[in-house]
Amino acid sequence: MTELRSFGERYATALADPDVRGGLTAFQRGWRVSRDAAIGALEEQEGRSFAELRAELAAIKDRVLADWEHHLDTFTANATAAGAEVVRVATPGEANALITERMRAAGADLVVKGKSMVSEEIGLNTHLEAAGLIPVETDLGEWILQLAGETPSHLVMPAIHKRKEVVAALFERVLERPFPPDDIDRMVKAARTELRERFLSSSVGLSGANALIAEGGAILLVCNEGNNRMSVALPQLHVVTAGIEKLLPTYADAMRQVRLLGRSATGQPITVYTNFLTGPRPGQEQLIVLLDNGRTAMAADPDMAAALRCIRCGSCANVCPPYGVVGGHAFGHVYTGAIGLVNTAFHHGLEAAAGPQSLCVSCGACATVCPVEIPLPVQILEVRERVARDGRAGTATTLTRAALRAFQHRLLVDLGLRAVGVATTPLRRDGVTVLPGRLTTRGPLAQRVGWRTPPAVAPRPARDTLRAGRLEEPPRLADQPLAGRTVQLFLQCVSDRLAPAIPIAAAKLLRAAGARVTVPREQHCCGLPAYDSGEQDAARAMVRQTMAALADGADVVTPASSCLAMLGHDAPYLLRGDVAELERAQELAGRVYDLIGYLTAGPGRLPAGSLDDGDRTPVTVHRFCQASTTLGRGDAIEAFLRDVAGAPVVPLPEAGECCGFGGSTSVRNPELSAGILDRKLGCVDRTDASVLITDNPGCILHLRGGVHASGRRVEVLHLAEYLVRRLPGATSTSQER
Amino acid sequence: MTEQPRQDADTLVPPQRQLLRTRVEAAASTYHEVAGWEQVAAHLAGHADRVAIAPSLHAVRPDLAASLEQRGCTVVVPQTADPAADVADVPVAVVAGVLAVAESGSVLVSEHELRDRVVTMLCKRLVQVVAAGDVVDRLEDAAVWLAARAGRAGFASLMTGPSRTADIERSLTIGVQGPDEVDVLLLVGADAAIEEPTS
Repeated sequence: MTELRSFGERYATALADPDVRGGLTAFQRGWRVSRDAAIGALEEQEGRSFAELRAELAAIKDRVLADWEHHLDTFTANATAAGAEVVRVATPGEANALITERMRAAGADLVVKGKSMVSEEIGLNTHLEAAGLIPVETDLGEWILQLAGETPSHLVMPAIHKRKEVVAALFERVLERPFPPDDIDRMVKAARTELRERFLSSSVGLSGANALIAEGGAILLVCNEGNNRMSVALPQLHVVTAGIEKLLPTYADAMRQVRLLGRSATGQPITVYTNFLTGPRPGQEQLIVLLDNGRTAMAADPDMAAALRCIRCGSCANVCPPYGVVGGHAFGHVYTGAIGLVNTAFHHGLEAAAGPQSLCVSCGACATVCPVEIPLPVQILEVRERVARDGRAGTATTLTRAALRAFQHRLLVDLGLRAVGVATTPLRRDGVTVLPGRLTTRGPLAQRVGWRTPPAVAPRPARDTLRAGRLEEPPRLADQPLAGRTVQLFLQCVSDRLAPAIPIAAAKLLRAAGARVTVPREQHCCGLPAYDSGEQDAARAMVRQTMAALADGADVVTPASSCLAMLGHDAPYLLRGDVAELERAQELAGRVYDLIGYLTAGPGRLPAGSLDDGDRTPVTVHRFCQASTTLGRGDAIEAFLRDVAGAPVVPLPEAGECCGFGGSTSVRNPELSAGILDRKLGCVDRTDASVLITDNPGCILHLRGGVHASGRRVEVLHLAEYLVRRLPGATSTSQER
Repeated sequence: MTEQPRQDADTLVPPQRQLLRTRVEAAASTYHEVAGWEQVAAHLAGHADRVAIAPSLHAVRPDLAASLEQRGCTVVVPQTADPAADVADVPVAVVAGVLAVAESGSVLVSEHELRDRVVTMLCKRLVQVVAAGDVVDRLEDAAVWLAARAGRAGFASLMTGPSRTADIERSLTIGVQGPDEVDVLLLVGADAAIEEPTS
């Protein structure tokens, strides 16, 4: 293994390489199609949903964790009876020393290696090389990286960040003959010839393990290339490196893992070779090295133990928008993708975890495809909190903490933003702040912010306009499902000051449907920005403040789906430590809605056609990522627009994928955020729609800024803003932005 | 998609076997039903004049080698201390599977000894022979076979198609370290049962 460079260097290198983003976007899109087809076919075959199948596998893994020592002992006893030597080691140092010593004792100088993430975790190659031994990677992707002096950027597709042109050039340099980039077959055959000699001359073979089957003392080892079969069969000594979390009780359990592993990893129903090894072959020795390296600590940590279910399929990376921009060298440490943001903290320490985890946009996509149902988004935020608490995270964290501490004070924020609103009046243009040209086109600031025009701070926040009696009586709808009902409007702190037209439109709409709308004055921020920044104490304080402000038992409706994700989903989790608080959080969660939820599944259900004003301008819809991933919402907005508003809706490709706002991510890592936004706006371009509708103000400000900065002519509207225009006798409300 | 005319023969083939065929072909192997070992020999001889036979198969079906030789083939059964060298340049090899899984189109091959493993690893074309009576529905059925041998040293592989990689730009390339071609032959004839070697 080549030593990892600092996170900052890895991030900069990834951004500077034009191949990375293009290649990874194509890879992610291709994987999505194959994986969805494979999982769909599996659901049909089994007559059970993916949710049921993965819950079953997760339960198996959890049962093992609950009785870990027993299963480890059973495995060890059975493997030993079959002739293997099983050694448990606590640290990478012990593992490396043991393997080096055994290789020396065997008189070996060459080791042929099948793919093993544990060997990467412990840095085995570096240690072997330092001891004068020669490790040869035999998985094609791993071999390419070894020749290039790099580490894997993906758990399953280690060299996916490399374009074929780069691989061809590498082969030309190393093998000293021409390789046309389009002739991948020729490259593969060359690798076969080169590696076969190594297989036949090596006296030690090394492999990982996809599972340790306690019932048989057997190793499950899957591969497609056939290299693993050679590296475990031909040499006189076979060394297995595996994490102790790889245990499964029975062969039948292993089959359940097999069913989900290939489909999740590559979209294959099963890998070409699914091998079950029990003990060494006649004439061979087998050493099984079982590594702890933080796993026991993980198992003892109730918030983190579920990450030990991981079967290393890599699917969490394949749907991850930041991964698609920078790849695994930046988005991860040795372990890449979302799981790498979690387990790195245990295997390589908080400092190694700090940089990569700051790239997560909290979109929640990873958790939707994980075949063992690991709550990755929640765990990443736990790690983020620990990193922040650790205090070694640097200036950015200190500044964030100070800002969030100040942000907790509603009146302070109110006063400050009113002042900014007045001061920036000359720069305000239709909802955005237009900075002097030289600031946005030249210099270091331009690179970081030029891709997104910042929003304007309104001189008058929404709460002023909505004060009782100030808002003119809106036209009423013929059907009034909310007649006689009081609705507390939760404005969302961002829209209140940066996009007041959104909560104002929501208030008008709710009143048009018959509701009495109140705006509780003590409301401020739901706590999401703090939670998202790893500042859980500040987040809890804001949740408590919000619960107090909304204590009146009436329905709460917010035009911000992100606040619903926070109050309806995350707040109970954050307050789980105190039963009374948890109950209050759950009580609030039970009566808080976002606008679309209230109008479609809540009490405010509007009849078909009731907002149809005859306008047939095509629109397209971006789905706030957490609405899909956390709130489980599908095409509710599209269906509502079609049925209730009569609007032609053009489907947006990748509609539910993050837009790149990601809360603090777009401030801390603007280049990453710009990359994700670019992918999103590219999808919008493909629809040819002139109106883009969504329902989360964070997304809206981000998308508007991107549209403005790129000179596109797409109007980005909140659902409420769009609908309020269709009320009988309505006029455009854009002056309120 | 046009509707396929219904074939009478289909009604005679058990659905399990139809599924196996579909899945085997989806994995990029070929599927054939053969009436007996003579047809296996004919299939092998049709592909090469040098054929390696897995020693475990040779032990229970020594007549296969004779049949191949009659057809003008040179037969290699690796028995020396360096079995990899014995089969290094043999283009076609044959092995018996202990069962085939219809669900996944896989053939379970048990090959504890190195001399058996080199046969399936090093050839270019691998022919896997399975008795029709040994076709099972699901992966769990293969788990039952494995569990019955739990704790005994062994090596068994569910093999599903020829070796492949997509490590360069996710571009599928067939034939890497393992065979480039795999033929699954289902024995449906009277002498269809394959004994398991006792060793």
